[in-house]
Amino acid sequence: MTARTNRLGRSALTGLTWLVALLFVFPVIWMVVTSFKHEVDAATDPPTFAFAPTLEQFTTILDRGFLPYLANSAFVTVLSTALVLLLGVPAAYALSLAPVKQTSNALGFFLSTKMLPIVAAIIPLYIISQNLGMLDNVWALIVLYAGMNLPLAVWMMRSFFLEVPTEMIEAARVDGAKLPTVLYRVILPVVAPGIAATALICVIFSWTEFFYAVNLTAAQAGTVPVFLVGFITSEGLFWAQLSAAALLASLPVMIVGWIAQNHLVRGLSMGAVK
Amino acid sequence: MAQVAYAGASRVYPGAHSVRAVDGLDLCIGDGEFLVLVGPSGSGKSTALRMAAGLEDVDEGSISIGDRDVTHLPPKDRDIAMVFQSYALYPHMSVRENMAFSLKLRGMSKSEVNAKVEEAAELLDLTKYLDRKPKALSGGQRQRVAMGRAIVREPSVFLMDEPLSNLDAKLRVETRANIAALQRRLGTTTIYVTHDQVEAMTMGDRVAVLRDGVLQQCASPRELYDTPRNVFVAGFIGSPAMNLLTLPVDGDGVKLGELKVQLPVRVEPGEVTVGIRPETLSLVGAAEDGFELQVELVEELGADAYVHGTLAGHADKIVVRADGRTPPRLGEAVRVAVRDTGEVHVFDPESGLRIGAE
Amino acid sequence: MTALIEAPQSSEPPATRTRTQARSAAWKRRAPLLPALLFTIAVTQVPFLVTVFYSFQSWNMVRPGSQHFVGFDNYVDVFTDSVFLQALGNTVTITVVCVLVAMLLGLGLALLLDRKFLGRGIVRTLLITPFLILPAAGALLWKTTMFDPSYGLLNWAFGIEVEWLSDYPLAAVMTQIVWQWTPFMMLLILAGLQAQSREVLEAAQVDGAGRWRTFVSITLPQLSRYLQLAVLLGAIYIVNSFDAIYLMTQGGPGTASTNLPYYIYQRAFEGFDVGQSSAMGVVVVAMTLIVATFALRLMFRAFDVSRGVK
Repeated sequence: MTARTNRLGRSALTGLTWLVALLFVFPVIWMVVTSFKHEVDAATDPPTFAFAPTLEQFTTILDRGFLPYLANSAFVTVLSTALVLLLGVPAAYALSLAPVKQTSNALGFFLSTKMLPIVAAIIPLYIISQNLGMLDNVWALIVLYAGMNLPLAVWMMRSFFLEVPTEMIEAARVDGAKLPTVLYRVILPVVAPGIAATALICVIFSWTEFFYAVNLTAAQAGTVPVFLVGFITSEGLFWAQLSAAALLASLPVMIVGWIAQNHLVRGLSMGAVK
Repeated sequence: MAQVAYAGASRVYPGAHSVRAVDGLDLCIGDGEFLVLVGPSGSGKSTALRMAAGLEDVDEGSISIGDRDVTHLPPKDRDIAMVFQSYALYPHMSVRENMAFSLKLRGMSKSEVNAKVEEAAELLDLTKYLDRKPKALSGGQRQRVAMGRAIVREPSVFLMDEPLSNLDAKLRVETRANIAALQRRLGTTTIYVTHDQVEAMTMGDRVAVLRDGVLQQCASPRELYDTPRNVFVAGFIGSPAMNLLTLPVDGDGVKLGELKVQLPVRVEPGEVTVGIRPETLSLVGAAEDGFELQVELVEELGADAYVHGTLAGHADKIVVRADGRTPPRLGEAVRVAVRDTGEVHVFDPESGLRIGAE
Repeated sequence: MTALIEAPQSSEPPATRTRTQARSAAWKRRAPLLPALLFTIAVTQVPFLVTVFYSFQSWNMVRPGSQHFVGFDNYVDVFTDSVFLQALGNTVTITVVCVLVAMLLGLGLALLLDRKFLGRGIVRTLLITPFLILPAAGALLWKTTMFDPSYGLLNWAFGIEVEWLSDYPLAAVMTQIVWQWTPFMMLLILAGLQAQSREVLEAAQVDGAGRWRTFVSITLPQLSRYLQLAVLLGAIYIVNSFDAIYLMTQGGPGTASTNLPYYIYQRAFEGFDVGQSSAMGVVVVAMTLIVATFALRLMFRAFDVSRGVK
């Protein structure tokens, strides 16, 4: 193999990679393109590539009352993630740095709840929410999303906590720090990237959650996915509007995810292996 | 006044086969003394140190610092500072914050904290690096920060757990001297754990040798070298290790090949274990009194050469120190004599204890 | 030195003190775990137990007062319900096919990304995007802009006329799910690839292993823990797939693409049959637990391996 063919092979591989990536992400690209079309250009055969762009769809979406859904999603996502961290950080600490007997049982329990299909609980949850007057209430979603994400979060954070050198914690104890000080001033700053990664994953799963949102909320507490359900019957008539709505609905978590993709990789892999 | 006293202190790890990591340790470290705990890995030396720090429970016996019984006190109430093997610096804090952390926790005023940190930094040549994060420091600098973190607190005891083992050889020698000098200057009682017997010999006022959680001997470096209390200490202290041979008693001595070695103490008939340091042996001319050694390996160190070989009719290896300029060749047979039979150590082969120990 | 001699006398009381201390210390260590534990039990276990209770009742929500105990009747009905069995089969198909295909695609993409080239960061950003798109949005977009028989891009690109959603409903749904989950798999596997020790790969090269050989003998075994995790997490989420079916096919045509979550949803929220849908929920949990036990065991073995290395 000469250097020349080697270089050629490498460029070909790079070209292939780019091609695969673009093909793979094409539905998203097409969504973005379509969202700037007039409805007449959106659903055509053959598809229209040259068109006069417009922001009409975005204003229509906003007029159809998109913002309250967005606000609900943001509220639910932020608060449920905060709740997960509030409950999860001490739990992860207890499972990693101060383990006692039965620790692995507790860990196994947390993991096993993740195996519980959410459909198995939806009926009582619906009935309980109804009896408590919590149907179509953001707080119900906050609690449920926290419950949904907590096991994975505890498991991930535990792996990050395990990375903290025990000698450092001992040094802090010798330096005179009590447990809360050790936790907040020594351990947390060290595991901050891991906690950020965990929070990011909770944010993604909360923002995109569909099942609870559709079944337990409606106009009052509906989140962004519920808004999209309104398009289920549009049957090819409002593709541009649908694309604009899909783009707006996904944009926040897309941007967060893009910015923090390194955290995401780290978070997933740490939870994985350590 | 801060002496540290272990009184029958034990650490027992529970389990089906409970392990006595430290077993009935009785040791008193005087005020201002530099005591080195040394032993092979698994000897319990680190555990003993961590018991004094309060990082390991004391399951039996007690530990006191000064005139206080600290057996059940948490680390922060013991007035100690510890230097860890990995340094355990807080990675998110600057050098200054690392050193100031414990002082701040004690609620010391800002100006006082600053003054103390700067004083310590001066002493350790760290002033330039005060605002750096540990990540941006070299190994030696990190080690000094770890020292600084201990010094600023002005504790009554320093506890050091193999603080030099992460440094390269040259820096280790240098830092070794610095730590010893610093300790003398501050006059703070220090317990220092190492597995390196050179560190133990050069730094300690006294050295305590541990094995399997049991204290073997605690004495000055010279005394350990000259009169090891048992076979283990004899073999552990000194490099290369002492030659230890179990031989039948022949009158008032033993026979090494053709050489009759007069023992410095009176022994019962039977067998004894004799210990002869490589430097007590020397190569001699073919005509002189001595025993024959088949050379199997020559380690040339420049000034000296260590000749490893086997004694004819004996399985044990013997090491002899020879002149570095004229070492024998591999496979050669050399004649070896004992320089001074007064330096031969004699041990009971059963108990391993020194015979003729006072 | 006097302290040294006196010490043994007082050794008995401290020993007992240590024991009670140890007990309270153990509780202190457990305490941080309790809020999370109680919360998880309240939010996930209690509703499930209520589901179990409901599953022994005959209860239709639109007929108040119809609630009464019927023993195992609901379970008998469930297992003789051909739609349930079909939904079960579809769930298994969707889960197995989607996890495997997404993992293979993810592995391929990860391998393409695991080298330096122009625009690598951008390519990775592009590739993770489907994971960040709202699944509901993704499902609707695939249903319309991709699969639509008259205006969809797929028919135009291949020059064919296929009614994807009515002729191949399950395949269409699975395409969307695979598209959604491949980036997740890719990220995990990429992390695994990058965690490989360079030296081990170099050692293999020095030992004379070619690229393929290195991949099979060195890379894959080192990746196994990451692959296991990818399978486990992927399966957990894909078993619960609801959005794609709800939004793309409504389980149809007929019940051709109905999976268990969707069927349970239908029975509960369209048929208002609390008893039977609860029984189905319990069956699903039982089956998931059986499968998961094996998966969990696998994963804990992975844990032990990593522990040993540490």
